[in-house]
Amino acid sequence: MMDKYTKLQLVGIYAAVTVFLIFILLPFFEMFMASLRPLEHLFRSPYQFWSDDFSFQAYSDMWETVPLLGRYIFNSVFIATAVTLLTMIFVVPAAYAYARLDFPFKNGSLAIFLGVNMFTGAVLLIPLYRVLRSIGLLNTYWAMIIPGVAFLIPTGIWLLRSYLEKIPRELEEAAFVDGASRLYTLRRVVLPLATPGLIVVGTAVFIGAYAQQFLFAITFNQQRELQPLPAGLFEFIGYQDVTWNQMMAAALTGILPVMVIFLFLQKYLVAGLTAGAVKE
Amino acid sequence: MATLDLMSISKSFGSAKVLHDISLAINDKEFVVFVGPSGCGKSTLLRIIAGLEEATSGQIMIGGEDVSTAHPVDRGISMVFQSYALYPHLSVYENIAFPLRVQKMEKAELDARVQQAAGILQLTDKLQLKPGQLSGGQRQRVAIGRSIVRNPKVFLFDEPLSNLDAALRGDMRVELSQLHRSLDATMVYVTHDQIEAMTMADRIVVLNGGRVEQFGTPMELYHHPKTKFVAQFIGQPNMNLIPATVSAADPTGVKVALSGGHEMVLPVDGGHISTGDRVEVGIRPEHVHIGDGGFPISVNVLERLGGVSITYGTVGDGVRFCASLPGDAQVQEGQPLALNVSPEDCHVFDASGDVLRRKAAPAIAVNG
Repeated sequence: MMDKYTKLQLVGIYAAVTVFLIFILLPFFEMFMASLRPLEHLFRSPYQFWSDDFSFQAYSDMWETVPLLGRYIFNSVFIATAVTLLTMIFVVPAAYAYARLDFPFKNGSLAIFLGVNMFTGAVLLIPLYRVLRSIGLLNTYWAMIIPGVAFLIPTGIWLLRSYLEKIPRELEEAAFVDGASRLYTLRRVVLPLATPGLIVVGTAVFIGAYAQQFLFAITFNQQRELQPLPAGLFEFIGYQDVTWNQMMAAALTGILPVMVIFLFLQKYLVAGLTAGAVKE
Repeated sequence: MATLDLMSISKSFGSAKVLHDISLAINDKEFVVFVGPSGCGKSTLLRIIAGLEEATSGQIMIGGEDVSTAHPVDRGISMVFQSYALYPHLSVYENIAFPLRVQKMEKAELDARVQQAAGILQLTDKLQLKPGQLSGGQRQRVAIGRSIVRNPKVFLFDEPLSNLDAALRGDMRVELSQLHRSLDATMVYVTHDQIEAMTMADRIVVLNGGRVEQFGTPMELYHHPKTKFVAQFIGQPNMNLIPATVSAADPTGVKVALSGGHEMVLPVDGGHISTGDRVEVGIRPEHVHIGDGGFPISVNVLERLGGVSITYGTVGDGVRFCASLPGDAQVQEGQPLALNVSPEDCHVFDASGDVLRRKAAPAIAVNG
């Protein structure tokens, strides 16, 4: 790594990073602080940044206020996992085809995939609702999984394709000369070498699936037992009052699985995003 | 018997024609080298033989069988790639075993074959390592190991030594020649390095612009280049070409005036040229010697290598000339020098670059 910044530049860089991090992390910090306060303290005036009666009470109370909370968290992880697995099943062969094969309308269809990414799911909610209703999938897990998969496949193809393109073509030619079929080569040569790329794409898809559930859940699903966490959080909003502290506690608990995954996969993510940049 | 016959192979990429009607007959157990500058189509030709590219037209016969549309495995070829193309996630053992795994070979036989290949290539103690832990030369040997386990009829090598440093390249050249002798197989080898071609080949194919310039033994190419291109490509340092004007010509000899005025009578077949024609006289750097009565050159740069002194200078109207003089020659930079060459050692090329047949060339060359 070249380190040729002057002191002044370094101060500037760190200042910029600090501002950026504060912007990103402050909401989480505030969530955490809110989750520790008793409810009545949240509305105290003047606002106290630090109070002496912090407690983790909300973290145990939340399970009673919303009895299905555990189920919601499970649903969130389950839906995101199912979306990720299904998406990868479609993305791997598609990305390989885009990386290696020649077929009509290849660039055109890639451009369309990019175009699809520009629509948010929200624009298509009403037609999607009609589709899901006519095939009878409303109020099932599938109602949240299928649209999720559909919207994540294009991103997955774009990400994985560029990774697969960096695998030397000669490796596949060598396998071909030795008699291996395309699928054998994909399984024994390409995919093992693409593992970091697969992890990157899988993680990106999982996070995308986790984030987009809310919209599909509140639109396509009325069954309480099937709701993912973001929709389930609504139950902390009661007729009389909102238990903000418990809601924040539940939200943080729900983010935890994603955070853990991120921590474990961090080294792959960094390696994957820079792979091929330097010749080994 | 694994002869390899190419019959009128042509190849176009879109509108660009890269191979023009190439026909070659390669004998069983022959080591043939395709050599030429980059972009001459030598790698494309090899890939067509391998089955990685399809020829636009023409036929490929291996062992007398038409394999033009066959799968590489059914052709009985194996190929060693320039980048070695080793699978970085597999051990040396699994890399060598890969073609056998594809065939779903029985375990005991697979192990025996891999061990045998590893033995030939001195890789037995490296089998459990990953390619990343090996040196360049060892990786190259693993790539060769992967190609020999399948007992192919024809081995194809695509510039296998170009990623190695100079010293290692010399060692691997010797190893490859020995391997060819011990395997007793037909080998086709692509390189841009004429030294590799000269040292290893039984016969050399010189390619230029998608055409075969000449196909012959190394000594044939050295002594009897058919074209100016081959003459300049073979030999180190390159052959000098001096523009000259014909002052008399008949089938027994040609009298020329070199650029600068020096006159020579050269024993070449001058049947189809006439007085006043512009020709080029080719003189190999190693064929000149210091002596009176020759043509003068002004020495610009001198490279003393101990065994020889390579002298660079100009002749006549600024024509560049290189002389390879034996030993510690009495030459100094910036001083004029008189060089002599015997007329039998000279080559003459007509305006289209074709050679005029030499009448006094070494006889051994013709039959190789």
